[in-house]
Amino acid sequence: MNKFFKNEKLWCAVAGAAGVIIGQKVLFSEKTRELAVTGLAKGMKLTHDVKAAFQCMKDEAEDLCYEAKEQAGLSEETEE
Amino acid sequence: MRYKIIFDKPGRLRVRFGGYAFDRSLEGCIRKLVSSNIYVRSIEVHSANGGLLIIYKKEHRSDVISFVDSLDFRSLIPVKEENVTEEIDRDFKNGLVRLGVNHLIRKLIVPAPIRPFLVMYRAAKYILKGIRCLAEGKLTVEVLDAASITACLAQRNFSTARTIMLLLSVSSLLEEYTHARTKAVLTSSLAVKADKVWLVSENEDILIPVGELDTGDRIRVRTGSVIPVDGEITEGEAYINEASMTGEPLAVMKSVNGTVFAGTVIEEGSVVIKVRAVSSETRIQKIIELIDSSENLKAGIQSRAERLADGIVPFSFLGFGLTLLLTRNITKAVSLLMVDYSCAIKLSTPISVISAIREAADRSITVKGGKYLEAFAAADTIVFDKTGTLTNAEPVLDMVIPFDNHTEEEVLKTAACIEEHFPHSMARAIVKGAEERGVLHAEEHAEVHYIVAHGIATTLYGKRAIIGSRHFVCEDEGVTITDEQQAYINEKAGASSVIYLAVGGRLAGVLCINDPPRKEAAEAVRLMKKCGLENVVMLTGDSCSAAEIIAEQLGITEYHAQVLPEEKHRFIEQLKADGHGVIMVGDGINDAPALAAADVSAAMSDSSDIARETADITLRGTGLTELAVMRRLSEQLMERINSNYRFIVGFNTALLLLGFCGVISPSLSALLHNGSTMAMCMKSMTPLLKSEEHIG
Repeated sequence: MNKFFKNEKLWCAVAGAAGVIIGQKVLFSEKTRELAVTGLAKGMKLTHDVKAAFQCMKDEAEDLCYEAKEQAGLSEETEE
Repeated sequence: MRYKIIFDKPGRLRVRFGGYAFDRSLEGCIRKLVSSNIYVRSIEVHSANGGLLIIYKKEHRSDVISFVDSLDFRSLIPVKEENVTEEIDRDFKNGLVRLGVNHLIRKLIVPAPIRPFLVMYRAAKYILKGIRCLAEGKLTVEVLDAASITACLAQRNFSTARTIMLLLSVSSLLEEYTHARTKAVLTSSLAVKADKVWLVSENEDILIPVGELDTGDRIRVRTGSVIPVDGEITEGEAYINEASMTGEPLAVMKSVNGTVFAGTVIEEGSVVIKVRAVSSETRIQKIIELIDSSENLKAGIQSRAERLADGIVPFSFLGFGLTLLLTRNITKAVSLLMVDYSCAIKLSTPISVISAIREAADRSITVKGGKYLEAFAAADTIVFDKTGTLTNAEPVLDMVIPFDNHTEEEVLKTAACIEEHFPHSMARAIVKGAEERGVLHAEEHAEVHYIVAHGIATTLYGKRAIIGSRHFVCEDEGVTITDEQQAYINEKAGASSVIYLAVGGRLAGVLCINDPPRKEAAEAVRLMKKCGLENVVMLTGDSCSAAEIIAEQLGITEYHAQVLPEEKHRFIEQLKADGHGVIMVGDGINDAPALAAADVSAAMSDSSDIARETADITLRGTGLTELAVMRRLSEQLMERINSNYRFIVGFNTALLLLGFCGVISPSLSALLHNGSTMAMCMKSMTPLLKSEEHIG
């Protein structure tokens, strides 16, 4: 019996089964889901913010170009 | 709503509502809303940061500010964007940026131990594709792509594998872009411009959007309206101008049980139509869908480039095998797979084609696919239809022949006076002819009666005045035309159509109406000859005399008159069988078979829809001389593709040899290879024709 409990393979199998059960519990737990949703939302917000920041930079660059053109008397928009 | 003024100069105001003020689906609606103000010259809407850029008439700043103050996006309903091409362009740019950013993130931010797994994950897709091609017994570029990516992975050269995959992704993005953009341009050029219709209900007619129509509904369409659906007439009768379908300038009479098509116009009358096919099922939409699913958009030149790239694949593998055999050095052998030709060829060719299609679009020419550019460059024969293509298909009063002691002016005055009540193309020609000749025509007649499909009758100073066809005037009304008079009319009228006017039972005169050539037609014919098209041919269903006169005016030496549509088709087939590359230019439904048979076909913007659908190239401007621009553009494109190909093969072969001899390191070789590919793509984007280039 003692020998049976000293068998490494047995403990590996037990550990593996325990790992699967715990892993499954963790993977499908409400907390994990919550974390995943929060992570995704943060990712989406970050993407949106990056796009907004990029658009702002583009807009401001365009405005600068417009001003430069206007000063040089090249702006088409100012022509009626 | 709160907003911030970012830029404020006279005529230009940029405001920002913030990133979450509205989403992309509202952009079109906001654009429409702001543009509806007369002082707004243009508007840009960006949902990403909630920004509006308003270009307005300088003196209206306060109006613009109050308008912006009043904006409330919460009450807006999303509308479909009209300017789809802009959206496609934006998606393409975003796609490119996304690819670049993702590439940089993977390269710079992702931890080094994870990067190889990411590369392998992405590479699996390409490798599987290659294996599938190999399993089908094809040794294509996909196999080479898979082999070079696998070789890079095997050598743990993940960076090069990533670069190869990036270039392949850019190529695929470009392909999608060409497809979407060409479809959008085509759709907008064919779009039926009827937004709302009168739905016939039990008690009254209700105005509803076309989109709400169902099959079986009955709609009322009146004079001057475009018929928005395909269907059958259940009530009323009308003269319908089917020029948009048949190219025939004269309206045709349609009554109960007659079939009508979307895009045709009611010239006179009012009908109730039972809807057979609603907007998404109409012929035009079906054609658009057909084009959408067809392989035509994939340029023939692109396909050829891919074939060329595929053709090199066995040699790459042969080189790999030989190098391995001779040097027994796997690194050197693999270097032959690393510097492959396919990326550059597959990337630069579609870019050149897109660039040419866009350039053509900028010059108001819609090309439905790259292979037509190739066919246009290779053609040696151009065949023109006469009516509506070389001519305007807009009848013009050519001559007035008076009889029975009447003067020319009297005949024209009476005819114009009667005809002005009926807006037919023939009537318009007479009224316009009177206007041009300064003939004033006050109302001197009694009420006019329109005798459907025959002519018009009224009373003038107590005498019956009638105008119409010979059949109406002579046989129905019993007016006598002597043999001498008829002989004189035949001699003078030549190829013109003749309208007869009789007053008090005696022939007062005739009006000759003809269809003169477009003013630029002769120049276009000259230019086409100059551009290397040896044979310029004119086909027409008209009489020999009419064809001869037009051919003489335009300098066309070969013409065929009284040709039926199927004969036009046979004529084109014969030319092709004789080894000619044929361009067919037509406009009507009768030209459709010939247009489809030609190697490449072109239709004018004022052609029938069916001709524009069948034609591979549509000239959105009305100038025939655009054909010469098209020829020049297609020739330049072919030249660019061929020179690109020569350069790619030459440069990369040199790189391979230098790498093989150990003169340059593999990394320098990869850098030069990728650098040259990018440079080639940049060059391919430049315009083929100078902006102000004049052909001629």
